[in-house]
Order: sequence, then C-alpha cells, then structure tokens
Amino acid sequence: MTVLVAERPGAGEPRPFRFPAFSRHAVAGGTVLACHLERRPIVSLSLVSRSGAAAEPSGAEGVANLTAQLLGQGAGGLDAHAFAVAGERLGASWFAAVGWDATQLGFDVPSAAVPAAAELLHHALASPTLDAEELGRLRDERLDDLMADAARPRTRALRELAAALWRSGSRYSLPQAGHAAGVSAVDIEAVRQWHDTRLLPGCAALVIAGDLTGLDIEAVGATVFSGWSGGAGEAAGTTSEPVQGGRRVVVVHRPGAVQSALAVGHSGPARGGEDEVALTTMQMALGGTFSSRLNYTLREKKGYTYGASAQYDLRRDAGIFVAQSEVKTEVTAPALTDAFAEITGMHDGGIRADELDDVRRQRIERYPLAFASPRGVAGALSEIVVYDLPDDYYDRQRERIAAVTKEEVDAAGRRHLRLDDLVTVVVGDADVVAEGLGDLGLGPVEVRADE
Amino acid sequence: MTVTGMSAPTYEISDTRLANGLRVVINEDHAVPVVAVNIWYDVGSRHEEPGRTGLAHLFEHLMFEGSANVGKGEHLKFLQAVGASLNATTWCDRTNYYETVPSHHLELALWLEADRMGGLADSLSQETLDNQRAVVQNERRQSYDNQPYGGWTEQLQELAFPEGHPYQHSTIGSMDDLEAASLDDVKEFYRRHYAPNNAVLTLVGDVDTSAALALVEKYFGGIPACPDLVGAPDGTAPASIGREIRRTIPDQVPLPAVFIGYRCPPFGTPDFDVISVLSVVLGGGRGSRLYHDLVLSQQLVRPSEEFVGAFDFVGGASLLIADLHCAEGVSPEKAEAAYDAVVAALIDGAVAPEEMERAHALLTSEVLGHLSGLDGRADAFSQHATLFGDPALVNTRLDRLLAVTAADVVRVARSVMTKDNRVVLTYTPDDAAADGAAEGVEVSA
Repeated sequence: MTVLVAERPGAGEPRPFRFPAFSRHAVAGGTVLACHLERRPIVSLSLVSRSGAAAEPSGAEGVANLTAQLLGQGAGGLDAHAFAVAGERLGASWFAAVGWDATQLGFDVPSAAVPAAAELLHHALASPTLDAEELGRLRDERLDDLMADAARPRTRALRELAAALWRSGSRYSLPQAGHAAGVSAVDIEAVRQWHDTRLLPGCAALVIAGDLTGLDIEAVGATVFSGWSGGAGEAAGTTSEPVQGGRRVVVVHRPGAVQSALAVGHSGPARGGEDEVALTTMQMALGGTFSSRLNYTLREKKGYTYGASAQYDLRRDAGIFVAQSEVKTEVTAPALTDAFAEITGMHDGGIRADELDDVRRQRIERYPLAFASPRGVAGALSEIVVYDLPDDYYDRQRERIAAVTKEEVDAAGRRHLRLDDLVTVVVGDADVVAEGLGDLGLGPVEVRADE
Repeated sequence: MTVTGMSAPTYEISDTRLANGLRVVINEDHAVPVVAVNIWYDVGSRHEEPGRTGLAHLFEHLMFEGSANVGKGEHLKFLQAVGASLNATTWCDRTNYYETVPSHHLELALWLEADRMGGLADSLSQETLDNQRAVVQNERRQSYDNQPYGGWTEQLQELAFPEGHPYQHSTIGSMDDLEAASLDDVKEFYRRHYAPNNAVLTLVGDVDTSAALALVEKYFGGIPACPDLVGAPDGTAPASIGREIRRTIPDQVPLPAVFIGYRCPPFGTPDFDVISVLSVVLGGGRGSRLYHDLVLSQQLVRPSEEFVGAFDFVGGASLLIADLHCAEGVSPEKAEAAYDAVVAALIDGAVAPEEMERAHALLTSEVLGHLSGLDGRADAFSQHATLFGDPALVNTRLDRLLAVTAADVVRVARSVMTKDNRVVLTYTPDDAAADGAAEGVEVSA
C-alpha cells in the first residue's frame, strides 16, 4: 500500500543571502568590476560597452553587431583562425553580443587562463585587424541570418510587430541585428568609425565573475586597458518615435501553416521608471510565469498552444510590451479573443492578492539562484555598468519588490497596458484565419504576402 | 592537470538506497543557499510500444497536472512561488524531472516529487489527458511541423536505425499515436515505469546529508516498489548501416541544408569518448577544421560552433551527426562535397598535437563548467547512476576524455564516418511545399 505525506511542508529557516560582494578598480584608464564566486572555475571575462544597436546611425543599421563580430576575426597579428585557436587552446570560448543598449565582448575561460585570455581581449579591442575581406564575409553571414530569422514564425511575428509600432525607418522599427540594406551598406570605414567612437575605455568597463582565487585583478585590468587609448566616447542613444495608430491586425500569409504565430503589443516605457517594480510585477502575473493568466488560459485550460507569455522589453529610452503565443491554426481567433480578455482583465481588474503574493515571493526567493553562476552575476554587473546603477542596486531592488502594493501594481497596469493601442500580428495561413479576425474588435485587418 | 592548469574536482557523494529501491545520491555544497533536486526515471521513448510513440513524453506532461495531495496547476505554482527554476525532459533513454530551490524549501520539493511518484494514478482524468494531448500536439507543431528544418532529427532517426529499433522513432511521437493514447495507456505506463525502484533521486547543494536522507525516507519511504518493472528493449544493431541512404526534402526553408547521420558506438563506451573529442576536432568551436575550411576559407556554409555532435544513446548504438546550413547561393551538393573532403582528410591523415590540445581544453572547460553548477552536477549524477549504475563515474568523466589520443580519433573516424554508414538528408527551398506535407524523395545508394 502506498503511504504519502498529505500535508504540504512549510519552509525551513532561510540562510541570509545578499547580492555577491564585488570590487571596483580603476586601472590604466579603465574600470574593472570583479566578483569572486567560490568554486566556479569557468570565469566570465567581458568588456561591456554602453553602446548598442539603438545608437547606430541611420543607413548603417547592423554596424554595432558587425564591428563586435569583426573584432574576433583577427587581432594582434593573428588572423581569424589563429585568433580562434589561440583562445580555444586555453579552453576559452569567445562571445560577442550586441543588445539595444550595450555591447559585450569576451571569453568564458578557465580561471588559470584569465591572464592569457585578457591579452587576447586587449588585442581585439586595441589592435583589431579590421580586414575588409573578413567584413565582407561577416556581412554575407548576417544577411543569411536575417533570412533565416524571417523564416521562423515567432521571430517573423516580432519583426512585423516592431515595424508596425515604430515610425518607418526609425531604429526600433528594424531588427536589432540590422536589416539587409543597412548591413549591406556597412563598410570598413563605418566599422572603424563605430570602433573609434563607441568602443572606448571611457564608455565601457571590464566585468569579471567566477573563482578568482590566485588572480591579480588589477594586473588583468592593466592587460586589457594599457595602450588602448581613446576619449570618453559618444553618449549613446537615438530615439525612435512610436506610431499611435490605434488597434489593427497584420496577417502575414503562410499557406498551409499548421500554427499561427501571434504577437500582440504596443510601444512601452523606458527602463528605470518610478513604477518599474510595480510594472514588472503586473507583467509576471499576466504572462511571466507558467501559472500566469495567459499561459494558464491558453495552454492549461484550452490546449490551444505549447505556451503563451507577455513581456516588457525596457530599453534606455523606450520599450515595447508584447504578448506572444503560437497556436493551432484553427483556433487563431478564439486564442486572440482569450489573450485580449486576459490583457483587458488585468488592465481593468488588477492583480489578485494571491497572484501578488506569489510573484513577490518568487522574485525575492529567486535571488540566490539568479546570482549563483558567473554568467548570472556578470549579467547583473553589466546592467550596473550599462545603466549607471548604484552598487547596492540588487539588494535595494529586493526591498522594493517586497514592498510593492496592489494599488501600485494596478496603477502600473492601467498606465502601461494601453488597450486601444494594441497591434496584432498573425503569421499563419490567411486563407483559414483572416476571415474570422475582422469581427473580434481588434481593428482593421491587413493581409500581406510572405516575402 | 590539463593544459589549462585546471583539474576536475572529485565530488564527495553519498550513494544509498531506500528499502523500496529508490537510489539516493547526495553531494553537499554550501557555497550558496540553494539545492538542486533531480530525479531520473529509467524510461524514455525507447520503451514505447508500436502505435504508442510519444507516450513517454505525453506522460511527462501529466506529471505536472496534479496528484494525490496536489491540485491541478499547484505543482508549478508552489515551486515558482519559492523562486524555483524547474522543468522536465524526455529523451529516448530517460525522463528527468528537476527543480532548483532555495535550500530552506527542500522539503517542499521532496513532497511534490514523492506525491507524483506514488500518487498520480487516481488523479489522471480524461479531461487532463485531452488537455495535455492538445498541448503536446502544439509542441510538435511548434518545434517540428511549423519550424524550418524542424523534422530533421525525426527523419534521421527513422532512416539510421532498422525498422522497429527502439531509437527508430522520435520522442515527440506521431500525431496519430498521440491521438490514440488512452487513459488506460497512460495508467498502465505509470504502473510499469514510475516506481522508486526505477528511479534515482539526486540532491546537490546546501543540505546536510543525514538530515536530507531522513527527509527522503519520510516522503518516499511509503511508496512501494513495482514488482514487474519493464526494462528497455534490446537495441542491438549492426555497427554499420551498410549503405548510404539519401533523402531530399523540398520544403518551406529559406536556404538549403544537409544533415548527415552515422550510426556509431553508444554513449558509455570508450569509442563514444573518442567521438566526443573527434566532434570538437572536426566541428566544435571556431577553430575547428570545418569552421576553417567551410566558413573562413570557402564561405560555403553558415557558421556554427557545433557542426558535429553525437546523440547520447546508450542502448546498442547511437548517432553521430553533422549539420550544414548552406550560405546563400551555395548548392547543397557543393557544401556536401567540401564537407566530404574535410572528413577524408581526417581519415587519411592525422590529428596534430595542437588540435588535440584545443579539443582537450574546450572539453575541460565544458565539463568543469557543467559540473560546477548545482543543477548540471545533479543531472550528471542521476544520469550516470541511471544509465551506467554508478554516479561516481561523473568524477572520472574528464579523465576519460583527456585519455583519448590523436590515433584514437583517426581510428574511430575511419570506422564510423564512412559513406556506407550514413544517412544524408538534404533540404531544398520549395515555396509550394505546404508544411507538414513535404514529400521526401528517397534514394538508396
């Protein structure tokens, strides 16, 4: 006979946890943030710059990404292959990532090899080869990426949504990695210009997280920054202008598609608003967890999808709200009806007490998990660098999360869920789905061919 | 010590069994106040019966839908509310369930896992089954049928293994079989496979071993063993496919792609360790031979840091795979020919000491990185205990990889990467091909 314990157990005594202590160093004209994490032998070593895709000049969208990639394609007298091998023989894996607001370059590297990897990083930053032929290859690769991205239903839906939400041609209306015209136009001069004005010690910091036992952090910083000169760099940021056109629906026609990729959203607030904690609390209850309203209704109650979610992408100067799902073609209209009902319900009725309690606890309790790994801590330190946050930001943030009230959350929902501005993108079979969409109150329906 | 000056730590483990057969592995690590809880059940899609493909994975979904003392939706709700990260995966050889929680919530995780190990049968309803069947069918649409190239793993498995072989069908299963799964099927599957004597429970992190063992006994001790467990079917297969099988798939894809699969020795054998090193030499990282020749020099394929890799099947045979996505304007024939030249150079030549050094260093970082995280380490202990009967093998895994020599790499490439032991799938762009209805054209050479 099976004997189970019927009673749900309570919690034990929690061990106190604070965001891991880190040190700041001013070395050779640069700044280093270093965090020791016990028994984490693969160290995250990266240069974080405050310029990302949002700051790219018009007509050269993609230059931030191409420059970041090109720095790893040969430096310090090594060609692309030799540079790759030099790192990998240390067990170091190179990464170069560009977001809207930042660029991050560096290695995941075994602790003992950090000094040698720092030398390679220095070469990539201070003496990159910037070879025009290599740039030509990277341009072709990125154009292939753009094609491949457009073929994926979810990515395609997000791309169409961005194009609908922002003034045509403005930076946020285009994919983060650029668009074909922009990428094709990036020449070696544009790369040099970006490198010389946007990737400089004065607008960047070196972030190191992992087991630092036996490492001389100031020496590592000196290796990266010495002899890498340049001014403070340009301040980041161009502003994209949102389109306020009311509700509408765009269907990208994919004959025979067995699912519709849905993206519903509007432009949103910038990072760092006073009600940001209230806003993200609301977002988690609406679509940020498995138990959230969107996922629970569309997946667990209706079986329309494998998953549904909602996020705010909070960038330096603006952002977007987007709810997403991929649903069986035949239920496209009812799924959209349910998604709109959940968004409207949160806007009008606000968060329930049990939801607020669960989200608050989840965010507070998550701290020791979120800030345990070198990558997790390096990511958090990078945000401090990129957004000029105070050093005690994460511990203070935890207090703000604990203190947020229903009134604040509901006010944030009413303010930042703009029901009349929701634009709907459907990537799917228009022959099956388009007809039913006109009667849902989602605005005029436009069907486009899939290019 | 290795070239990078790093050696893998030896993790101290407690390895015991409850009276009902539940194997319990515990590794204390108090660096952060977190514990990883990880259960492997020795059941996967290879255990499925004909006409019931996808059942193991569908069942995994039902494990989140409530049990004797846990209501629908509560499993995830309770764990998320304490900050846990959690999930489950089903693969050919296993189904694993895991949650990483702040250590003062260990008991909650144990209670939830025990309740679904011992108390699922009466909670299974037709309504829940129908709901999760629809969810899984949408998972299949999202990941396979409505995704460019989405069907390649399923098709490689179908062609690389003999008819009826346990690895010949995909873990996601066919739409028809998913449709056919009945409440009786899932109840019988649960009875046969979900029992303490068919599972390994691993705890890694901020726990006291003896106190944790007492808690495990408290929550799991009352679950009886299954007297008639059904083991894995025989997966013995000839070492080689014996011919080249080619299939061309016109489909809605942006660019052509070529997927090549070779039948190879299973995970857990010395030659599989060689395959791990061989994969890095040929196609791992940005300094590999394929990256050098096909991306940097000839610009024929889209860059990848993992052109080559192997499935970790343990039952009789596994699959070594190369994955080439053509650059725009490059034909699949040209990409395949250039790939063949790289393989031929390995088979006919040698591997330089610098190449071995690079592969060993990258594998060292990979293993150290994976094991230094609590969740990765817990999964590795469950994996080695379930598949090979010994969790302590985790501690020597890196040594085995580092013992692989250049001569081993050439020898195994020579025996495995032959044209009469491979399946070649070629995707070609075809806008007229409606998703899910693409007809393959198959040729045997």
